[in-house]
Amino acid sequence: MSHDGHHSIVIPAPGPEFVPHTVAHHFDSPVQEFQSMKLGFWLFLATEILLFGGLFAAYFYFHEAFPETFRVGGAQLDWRLGAVNTTVLLVSSWTMAMGVRCAQTSQKQKTLMFCALTLVGAVAFMVIKFFEYKAKNDHGLVVFSELFSGYNEATGQLAWFKDYDGVMANVPHGHMFFAIYLTMTAIHGLHVVIGAGLIIWIMKGTAKGRFHAGYYLPVDLVGLYWHLVDLIWIFLFPLLYLVP
Amino acid sequence: MSAHTHNDHGHAHADAGHDHGGGLQMGHHHVSSAAMFFNVLAILLVLTIVTVAVSRFDFGGANMLIAMGIASVKASLVIAIFMHMKWDTAINKIVFLSSFLFLSLLFIFTLADQATRRVDHEMHTTRTPVDKQWVHPSTLEKH
Amino acid sequence: MSTNVPVIDAHPTISEPPKNYLNCSRGFMSWAGTLDHKRIGIMYLIGVSAAFLAGGVFALLVRLHLWEPHGMLFTNETYNQIFTLHGAFMVFIFVIPAIPGSLGNMVLPLMLGAKDVALPRLNLLSFYLWCGGTLLATLAIVLGGFDTGWTFYAPYSLYTDQAVVSIGLGIFLLGFSSIFTGLNFIVTTHKLRAPGLTWFRMPLFVWAIYATAILQVLATPVLGITVLLVAFERLYNIGIFDPRLGGDPVLFEHFFWFYSHPAVYIMVLPAFGIISELVTVHSRKPLFGYKLMAFSALAIAIISFLVWGHHMFTSGQSTFAMFAFSFLTFFVAIPTAIKEFSWVATIWKGSIALNSPMLYTLAFLIIFAIGGLTGVILGALNVDLHLHDTYFVVAHFHYVMMGSIALAFFAGLHHWWPKMFGIMYDETLAKIACALIFIGFNATFIPQFIMGSQGMPRRYATYVPEFEGYHHASTIGAVILGSGVALMVYYLLASLLIRKPAMQNQWGGVTLDWLTPTPPPLENFATPPSVTTEVYDYSTLDYESLRTPVR
Repeated sequence: MSHDGHHSIVIPAPGPEFVPHTVAHHFDSPVQEFQSMKLGFWLFLATEILLFGGLFAAYFYFHEAFPETFRVGGAQLDWRLGAVNTTVLLVSSWTMAMGVRCAQTSQKQKTLMFCALTLVGAVAFMVIKFFEYKAKNDHGLVVFSELFSGYNEATGQLAWFKDYDGVMANVPHGHMFFAIYLTMTAIHGLHVVIGAGLIIWIMKGTAKGRFHAGYYLPVDLVGLYWHLVDLIWIFLFPLLYLVP
Repeated sequence: MSAHTHNDHGHAHADAGHDHGGGLQMGHHHVSSAAMFFNVLAILLVLTIVTVAVSRFDFGGANMLIAMGIASVKASLVIAIFMHMKWDTAINKIVFLSSFLFLSLLFIFTLADQATRRVDHEMHTTRTPVDKQWVHPSTLEKH
Repeated sequence: MSTNVPVIDAHPTISEPPKNYLNCSRGFMSWAGTLDHKRIGIMYLIGVSAAFLAGGVFALLVRLHLWEPHGMLFTNETYNQIFTLHGAFMVFIFVIPAIPGSLGNMVLPLMLGAKDVALPRLNLLSFYLWCGGTLLATLAIVLGGFDTGWTFYAPYSLYTDQAVVSIGLGIFLLGFSSIFTGLNFIVTTHKLRAPGLTWFRMPLFVWAIYATAILQVLATPVLGITVLLVAFERLYNIGIFDPRLGGDPVLFEHFFWFYSHPAVYIMVLPAFGIISELVTVHSRKPLFGYKLMAFSALAIAIISFLVWGHHMFTSGQSTFAMFAFSFLTFFVAIPTAIKEFSWVATIWKGSIALNSPMLYTLAFLIIFAIGGLTGVILGALNVDLHLHDTYFVVAHFHYVMMGSIALAFFAGLHHWWPKMFGIMYDETLAKIACALIFIGFNATFIPQFIMGSQGMPRRYATYVPEFEGYHHASTIGAVILGSGVALMVYYLLASLLIRKPAMQNQWGGVTLDWLTPTPPPLENFATPPSVTTEVYDYSTLDYESLRTPVR
């Protein structure tokens, strides 16, 4: 298709180390492209909020039903590790915000550095998470090797909930807190991993010079995603580790 | 006709951006100061300490409210500053904040059902003695 | 302009048909990898039509089985699977994506004067997510089927040994397909409107799809997490829906209906949009109460989030919740009634053309009035306690989902068929099919209203002999309905072979979708349009285009 009126719009690169950006053919202007993608991404983030919202609703529902289970269960988590992880995510959120800022001002090396720092945060978070899960596994609160072994109707025993130390012996449905803990943190962890992958992707693009003051949209959107991951953890930390 | 005007406008816009050293092509956007980002990080870390600190005290029924209140303040800071929402367009603000509004509907109705089931239960227990004395109208007519 | 001179003769390039989105490129990949909203719309159309026919076959099997009180065809277990397949295919794979996916994709960017949807890649992804979800649902049949009903109520869905995880993940994918379609349409409507096309100049179909999109984006994620949680329950016994482990099945119902009630409006609002377009075009009269119609679409979308508990009156939720949900339910009737009245007022004293799209529209107006009003009956708490889970409910939601939504889909299909392909179907056969569908539909479901009010429970493979006459009537009606649909499929497919050319503007529409050549070129408009007149202003109608055949 070659219409006379359809020449493509190119945003020039601000320097030799950058690549120009061609606006997609169906947009009339770079502003329209930027705003459309951004609105689309905010809508996507809204769906993420509602997706996690279901889990939060379940948390509040059973916190109300079994307050003692949640209090004792929350005490089994190491709040220090939770606090460290909160700090890691908050700092990584800051490095991400700085990374976006550097992309906005065409500072290629600094963008790469801040993205790399964010990536370090993501890895640190998952490593700490691994040790937390391992501790739960060792105490029989979530036995990962028997996670899918089901429920024994006759004995009323749940294969993955052994509670070797008997800490949950005096509260009803002791597994409930750990089931919700596991589900919420695992889905959140999945988002951390996806976010890390996205950060690697924009680092590649940044290295190639694709992102600069004229076109930093992907960096901006991945930044938003990463902040959302942080946002959810801000609520998970007090709810799971410091059960109110 | 209008095609040309429109595209030419877009092109002119991009060129103008280039002349000004880039940055203006994508419409209004905001480059926040690094100092502000750092201050926000500091506040977020302090609030994390506050979260842990207040959890050492028992405020009874207010525990959850306090914890969620502090978390909401932290979340608002992340949304407004780190996510640039403070400088974003009205529609983007509406979109993201409405997700919390609609989520609150799920919370309110579900938790209201749970809370008022207890009321149902209490009403039934207090009614029990009355129920025992209750006689079906058909038996009354026989007397 | 003189009306006697055919425009065609003035063109020197008569020998070669103009390039449009259908003939601009060829080959499998030019379709499978297309980013063009019109081609994606056609692919959706083929997909959802196949799903509708599959769901229809399941429905006929259900009806045939119920010919005899003890069941004629299947074991009880197989019957449970068949009606579940009917429900799941019709709801998740056909009705929810049908209108937005096919007609919405095809028409919405045209109506906005845009070259494409805002996010074309996401649009294609959304179609393939639909394919993936449909594939998993079909795989579930192979893996042993599923018999939970389309609602997947816990705790049965947690305990049954059937392929619930496969269908659950299928629905998760279908959900994200729906979310991405809605997201795309919201962005397109906000950012890609032609110059001069203000919000209150948008055709009502756009308003309806926009309101639908809000629901798709805000409600569907909760369905996503709900089916994931059911899958997790089956995989590692979280226990939140499982009463053996301290969980609460009513919480599942809250989660499920938080989505699935708005989903009713995800299904019906696009149908409202189609009907709003069709009543004005085929009456050649501006829509009565345009702004009120636009706002009522939004009002329905918002109110639909407040009423989900009316599906749960017998579930064990609290008296307070039942009261609140029942009370709020009645508010939906207000914007819905505004719509029904506005359609009728639009037709009033219009220049009505009784062609097949209009006949389907009129059938919709009658059937939807019944479907809507029986909904008000069911919203009343005390009445619902009696009618819950009876054939009355089945008849009610079929009046809405089959009688209203599917008929509006057919109406839209007949309306935009000449736009999509540049050809016309056989109008006489279309009118016969419409009559068969209307008669067959009512014959199927009026007996079900009666049976339901007398206590015939839904989803049973057998029934007491008293109901045999009603079931016979219902089954005969279903066969008539099925033959009408078969006839429709025949003449629509035949029209693709006969290729009787349609007119450039077959019905005399004045919205942007009718102002571009038929079929539209690849990027929709030769020159980007701008809008200077109010919506549905028939004084601007170019009568030439009504008489110019497609080349």
